[in-house]
Amino acid sequence: MTNPVVLLAAATLLVGLAAGHAPAAQVGQAAPPFEADSSVGPIRLADYQGKKNVLLAFYYADFTSG
Amino acid sequence: MTAFQADIAAFERLNTQVLGVSPDDVATHKRFAESLKLTFPLVSDPGGKIQAQYGPGRIAFFVDLQGVIRLIVEGMPDNTQVLADIERLLK
Repeated sequence: MTNPVVLLAAATLLVGLAAGHAPAAQVGQAAPPFEADSSVGPIRLADYQGKKNVLLAFYYADFTSG
Repeated sequence: MTAFQADIAAFERLNTQVLGVSPDDVATHKRFAESLKLTFPLVSDPGGKIQAQYGPGRIAFFVDLQGVIRLIVEGMPDNTQVLADIERLLK
């Protein structure tokens, strides 16, 4: 017995969950600008523009494997 | 971050600056960078304000010279794949 309403509700929930985990920034968009302190002093993303590509690697915390 | 350090020369060959970003403060970042002998910067993002604009969790964004996001890698990155993807994108 498969109730189409239940199926639809489940599908909607799955789509919602997927959307909730999707990155806020997307390929093809301008990278959101930022200015922040770092281990080597203040850093602005804009400073790299026209000079270097940037790999921005987010991780959970120092001294962890993540 | 040790994986990025191990391949840092390969990223540099592709004119790519690696920036690690986490909510840790600068003092913790300095200790962490020193302990792992990291030669790339660790950005302090208290409260995850920068990350909120990009995306949640363990995730990496390749930003080109024009400041455009060209690649998003979710989860623990496989550097071999990431480097191959960057090389392809820069062609």
